[in-house]
Amino acid sequence: MRKFLIVLLTFVLFTLTLSQLPPNIPREETLIVDILSGRIATPHNFNIWTVAWKWWDRGIQQLMLEPLWIVDPVTGKVICALAEEMPIYNNNFTKMTIKMRKGMYWSDGTEITSDDVVFTIEAVMKNPTLNYHDIMLDYVKKVYAPDKYTIVVELKKPNSRFHSYFIDRWGALRPMPKHIFERAEDLGTFEFNPPISSGPYVLEDYDPNGYWVLWKRRTDWERTPTGKLFGMPKPKYVLYIFYSTTEQEVMAQVRHEMDVCDTTMEGLRIILSKNKYARAYIKNYPYIFNADPCVTGVTFNDAKFPYNIRDVRWALTLAIDIVDFLKIGYDGATVMAALHIPPTPAYTKWYYKPLEEWLKNFELDIGNGEKFKPFDPNAPIRLAEEMRKRGYAVPEDPEKIKEIFGIGWWKYAPDVAEKLLIKHGFKRDKNGKWLLPDGKPWKITIIAHTNPAHPMYKNAFALAQQWKRFGIDVTVLTTEQAATIVDHGDYDVATAGMWPATEPWGGHPDLYRTFYPWKSEYMAPIGETNPGHDSRWSDPRIDKIVEEMEKIDWNDPKVIDLGKEALEILVEEMPTIPTNLYPGIIALDEYYWTGYPTFENPYMIPYSHWPNFKYVLPSLKSTGRK
Amino acid sequence: MNFLKRYLLPRLLVYFLVIFLGITLIFIIPRLMPTDPVQEMINTITSQGAYLDPEAIKKLEDTLRELYGLKGSLWEQYINLWKRLFKGDFGPSFFQFPTPVIDLIKQSLPWTLGLLTITTITSWVLGLILGGFVGYFYKKKWAKLIDGIAMVIRPIPYYILALTLLILFAYIFPIFPIGGGASIGRTFQFNWCFIWSVIKHGFLPAMSLIIIGTAVWLQTTRLIVQNILAEDFVIYAKSAGLRERKIALRYTIRNAMLPQITGLTLSLGQIFSGALITEVVYSYPGLGTLAYNAINSGDYNLLMGITTISIIAIATGMLVIDLIYPFFDPRIRYR
Repeated sequence: MRKFLIVLLTFVLFTLTLSQLPPNIPREETLIVDILSGRIATPHNFNIWTVAWKWWDRGIQQLMLEPLWIVDPVTGKVICALAEEMPIYNNNFTKMTIKMRKGMYWSDGTEITSDDVVFTIEAVMKNPTLNYHDIMLDYVKKVYAPDKYTIVVELKKPNSRFHSYFIDRWGALRPMPKHIFERAEDLGTFEFNPPISSGPYVLEDYDPNGYWVLWKRRTDWERTPTGKLFGMPKPKYVLYIFYSTTEQEVMAQVRHEMDVCDTTMEGLRIILSKNKYARAYIKNYPYIFNADPCVTGVTFNDAKFPYNIRDVRWALTLAIDIVDFLKIGYDGATVMAALHIPPTPAYTKWYYKPLEEWLKNFELDIGNGEKFKPFDPNAPIRLAEEMRKRGYAVPEDPEKIKEIFGIGWWKYAPDVAEKLLIKHGFKRDKNGKWLLPDGKPWKITIIAHTNPAHPMYKNAFALAQQWKRFGIDVTVLTTEQAATIVDHGDYDVATAGMWPATEPWGGHPDLYRTFYPWKSEYMAPIGETNPGHDSRWSDPRIDKIVEEMEKIDWNDPKVIDLGKEALEILVEEMPTIPTNLYPGIIALDEYYWTGYPTFENPYMIPYSHWPNFKYVLPSLKSTGRK
Repeated sequence: MNFLKRYLLPRLLVYFLVIFLGITLIFIIPRLMPTDPVQEMINTITSQGAYLDPEAIKKLEDTLRELYGLKGSLWEQYINLWKRLFKGDFGPSFFQFPTPVIDLIKQSLPWTLGLLTITTITSWVLGLILGGFVGYFYKKKWAKLIDGIAMVIRPIPYYILALTLLILFAYIFPIFPIGGGASIGRTFQFNWCFIWSVIKHGFLPAMSLIIIGTAVWLQTTRLIVQNILAEDFVIYAKSAGLRERKIALRYTIRNAMLPQITGLTLSLGQIFSGALITEVVYSYPGLGTLAYNAINSGDYNLLMGITTISIIAIATGMLVIDLIYPFFDPRIRYR
């Protein structure tokens, strides 16, 4: 009996020391979120201005640093953070003036002034080991501060979007503290440890093995843009922690040891079934975050036969039953994307709705004088019906359905696809399998991601099913080397590498960022690394539109007209096939904290790995549970 | 002199040759992979949503190649490698530039060494003893039971076993933490709090490795012992009326130990490559994930560093076992 009691006591003491947090860090004052990018290999290094990857999303971009400007895809706005207002350009975009917000301080009590910005730009220009070095060297003739809160950048050549390098959209050239960095011998190897913050949190502690970082709210949080614009961040502490597997994330959320995590649909469903305090961004099906500024789909190697033929690309598009595709890949939980931009609420307002009539009237020439209108505005309705059959509660109102599933996609028309192929000499063998014009069997290898939870993996297998049904011999190759293979043009079709279109800003209607990588000067021959879009497609009309955009301010209303024109060209040419919005899956545990951004209350992008996360924290409320 | 000429020198020669060839192969093989470290770096930055315009990408590629030391012919890179190696410098990691590779290895190595040394030796000892007795007393019910359990455990994929333990003891019965090497806020110190925290966090990973490891050693030892039972000296010992326990320990298991010592040395050498699945399932800091990420990102220098240490460890282990084997097996001494 005595031995048993001793064992029991030891056991109890053992378990009592199991609290996740240190004893002086109360759980009810701490927000725990996940690190998206993985285990931090350089945990001692907080200098994220260098060219190498430094795990910015361990709280550095979200809590520690403020940028000049930051873009929010949910509200569709650009927020002025350390800058007081948007930049002011001269008439020919060779001079940019920035006005700093007054009364902002680093966490060590030093005021943030124009000197910090000037120093940052000059330091970057002098050091090839710092990010943006080549860009700044290319553009900046001179940078100076006429006063404590004004910066003037004189450019060597016009650039109406020079300020975009300072807009935080998961990365930017953020001001560095001059008074710290000017003392460093080598900015490339300087670790900036301990760091100081321009944001509302300071570093409290970190794991030397790279699994967690603990941040503490500044006592002078009101002297940061976050405090000034949004108020006091409610959690006193924020813990960023990395769990290697979805299973661990699920267990952590169910045990209330994780408040916000970016997870998989499978993980989310288990969390929702086991944790009554948990919810997704959308409370019920489809659960997803519907404003991720990223469109997923398929990329063709447009420099390679037969994908260099527009009709072939369109045939492959019409061979996809998008309802079936999305059922297989996502259980329908995503938004259809017919255009080469993500169908977020903001882009739906700026582009999808205005182009809806054009899409409905768009015609393909399928030969012999025959025309075909490929757009299907009823695709979302059909998807909704299918999801109802699966037992999901989906609204009946077509407008609500389109809000959830998008405004439409391309028709499933294998007969028209066949005509387009036959027009170019393709034929079927006696088994119905497609043959190339030279008589050889048509085989497609789709290069895909290795992670089964990733859209780049799901799209590949859903796509393979569609094209196999159509009669093409398709295989999927999942590889960790996808990025390199696709970049060198050693592929036919890919769902890995780049998205079918470069992500736009998300919080601004300007689409320059999306079209610029398609400029013909950036297309390299197959076998060489390609700085432009992986599809290696270009069109002189897109070149012209990009050049026109470069000459005007990004707030000029003409930007939207140029954007629409380019989107129409992309539809006509279909160099890549956009299929759906990136379905962000976030699990929110409301056991300790409420007030997260949600579908019902969309005030900011909810991702804890985005730099906007600091602006979410003032809106959180503690439940009072200990 | 004879010993030096006929035994030691040839072994030393082979030792250095193995290391030289191993390092050369590790230099060549990653460069044959389709992974481009520069492209992987750019892809990592852009895949998270950060933006690099094509102009920036063009220039960054050149800059990164220069910084990584990837300019110049392969021969020049190879010579530079040996120049650095003789100074004990593996160069900077590409992916974690400019962090030196040796710093990254120093960070993860103690965790790998600690966990895998303890679990390898523990499972070897347990497996040897249990396997020895199970093999010797194979007709007994308890021996059959233990052997049956080992037979069931051994084919279980390690990932499944590891995850099952995690779900059982970190979720259903939340006795242990979900992951990590030590508690949050505990920094490396030689005090009871830190040590206890490491034990607590390392318990499940260690258990998972010991269970599988023991099953493997048990079964191999059992097979060896059952072969030895048929040897003349064992039959003679039994006929001479020696006690069973003495025959089991001093005649049978002692002989079974010999090939297992070689196996142990090889296993100990392999600990420098880490235990990737263990580290992933339990979020345990170690060399495994470092090596895995190095392969995926084409981080030639980091890969070089980790595999060089592994090659040297295994080659050294083999050399040591070659040299000390005569002390375990007297028959070798007399040759």
